[in-house]
Amino acid sequence: MSTRRFKISFIKDVNKILRQNIREWGMYIALLVIMAIFTITTKGVFISSRNIGNLINQTGYIAVLAVGMTLVIIIRHIDLSVGYLSGFLGAVAATAMVSWHLPVYASIALAVALGVLAGIFTAFLVAQMKIPAFVATLAGWLGYRGALQLVTMSKGTIVIPNAAFNAIGNGYIPDIPDIGILPGVHKLTLILGVLVILLFIINAINNRRKMRAYNFEVLPMHLFIIKLVFVSALVGGITWVLAGYKGLSWTTVVVLIVVLVYNFIMSRTVLGRHIYAVGGNPEAAELSGISVKKITYVIFGSMGMLAGLSGILFASRFKSATTTAGTLFELDAIAAAFVGGASASGGLGKVTGSIIGALVMMSLTSGMNLMGIDISYQYIVRALVLVAAVVFDVATRNREKE
Amino acid sequence: MGEAIPIVEMRNIRKSFGGVQALRGVDLVLHHNEVLGLVGDNAAGKSTLMKILSGAYIPNEGEIFIEGKKAHIINPWDARRQGIEMVYQDLALANNLDVAANVFMGREAVSVKLGPISIMDEHHMGQETQRLLDRLKIDISSVRLKVESLSGGQRQAVAIARATAFNTKVTIMDEPTAALSVAAIGKVLDLVRELKAQGCSIIIISHRLEDIYQVSDRMMVLRHGRKVCDTPVAGDIDDFRERVVAYIIGARDDFAEGVSKQPNNEHEEVQDIVH
Repeated sequence: MSTRRFKISFIKDVNKILRQNIREWGMYIALLVIMAIFTITTKGVFISSRNIGNLINQTGYIAVLAVGMTLVIIIRHIDLSVGYLSGFLGAVAATAMVSWHLPVYASIALAVALGVLAGIFTAFLVAQMKIPAFVATLAGWLGYRGALQLVTMSKGTIVIPNAAFNAIGNGYIPDIPDIGILPGVHKLTLILGVLVILLFIINAINNRRKMRAYNFEVLPMHLFIIKLVFVSALVGGITWVLAGYKGLSWTTVVVLIVVLVYNFIMSRTVLGRHIYAVGGNPEAAELSGISVKKITYVIFGSMGMLAGLSGILFASRFKSATTTAGTLFELDAIAAAFVGGASASGGLGKVTGSIIGALVMMSLTSGMNLMGIDISYQYIVRALVLVAAVVFDVATRNREKE
Repeated sequence: MGEAIPIVEMRNIRKSFGGVQALRGVDLVLHHNEVLGLVGDNAAGKSTLMKILSGAYIPNEGEIFIEGKKAHIINPWDARRQGIEMVYQDLALANNLDVAANVFMGREAVSVKLGPISIMDEHHMGQETQRLLDRLKIDISSVRLKVESLSGGQRQAVAIARATAFNTKVTIMDEPTAALSVAAIGKVLDLVRELKAQGCSIIIISHRLEDIYQVSDRMMVLRHGRKVCDTPVAGDIDDFRERVVAYIIGARDDFAEGVSKQPNNEHEEVQDIVH
């Protein structure tokens, strides 16, 4: 009898929490459902170590764009130019290494610096000239596409012979020397995974204690534990799968650093708070002494920088710069941001969410490729997912207002 | 008003937008710990006058004195530095942030500063906000609640609390009771009384004469960009309302050319005090 009552109250709790936090949890559910479907339809190939490793490496160049795009969307703008900007900057890095014989780090620095400049130029159009970001970055889309074709015109494809550069997109972190236990498993990856799980649990418990000190309603204990177990199992599972292939790739390391840095800035620093304030109510932010212009410059500058990084990851992964590099990256990044919980009306969105969104978009691509689905249907499916994410955003926002 | 020097004095303020004269030489005095009601019909110039004081507009002519010292207020940050805060009618709050984040918006407490990156002191901000809400007897269950989940009255209370939080000398409230339920209006008026009891000086713009009557010590009526009445709030509410409406619609005018010479004016002694 008492277990039954517990069950009922438990289901009620889950229901209530799901309804209240559907915005935050929807993407995790979507990711799990998509992964489960592809695992079944590909008879397990999708979830294999090799495929997941490749999937995460492919997600890298979209994921860093999605992080920047989420910030752009938080302050109520959009950036359509980042796809070809990323392709163009990758081509610049390739040209710098191949034709100008610059060292790897200088070529990377050059691409990233040019990206920041491009972002600042966009911000100038948007913040100073008051051009809608949609139009300003559509011009960028055209311009950078032209620039990309210009850079790659003479050779078509610039092959990058530099091993160090190509390792960014294809290499894996070294393992600690074999000591006899767990042969064939990447031990450093496992250790890092366990560290991440521990940090997550400590952080979650600390947060919960803090929120309770402010009389804030927190998850009931049993649900809190389920959440911890769920996330730990997810991270642990991915770590195990990765450790079974070649371990953590350098791409993943780059993405993790970007996520950690951006997440810290957005949640703990004054700059992050100001970005959310500008997104929530620009007039109020301005009246409170926050310079909306300055924030706009910072956001588009960071977007440009991440576009440079994305271009490098992509060029490195394919060991070359091509005339079509970066095509439609911007739409994947925008879709990832929306799937990851950013709101079209601004002020909402998390860095961690955009990574989940990017994983959703790349899982779709990877899964459909494995299933051999024609590219034309793939575009349509991705379009439907984007629409679904935005409809979901609008629907949950409307319900919150009621 | 025991203090000799008023906390705010505006002299002969003029402001025009294109060909329209919004303010034609308005004087305003606010004493320490006084609540001044500012009324008038639409486009009478109330909001323009207050936006000049809060730095949103720059006057074409006229001077502002804060505690007897001439002040140059050219933007909202200037005004804020001088201790003048305005609670805007459309609630200058960010709905996506929690109560503490809104109270500290633009002046976040910093624990560690590393070059351009300043790490926020969330604990300090949370505690200070809780203390502020307690002091003003504002009933909100947690400072970590997002503003979008609060009621209209609670939001107004947060906006007012925020304006009075940082050594504010003068708080200007633009229609603080507009679009609120009756119960919420009562709470906002209680909050104004609480602020006065704690020594604040306040200017309230309102269309609701009963609100002005309930909380103000003195009131000013503007009409067509001119001051037409400046009088202590006293007497019976019906009488008060009738009198004020007469000024608002232009049936009476204490400051018209030659009017102050008329012997039958009951407010003449008030003017003598003010001038």
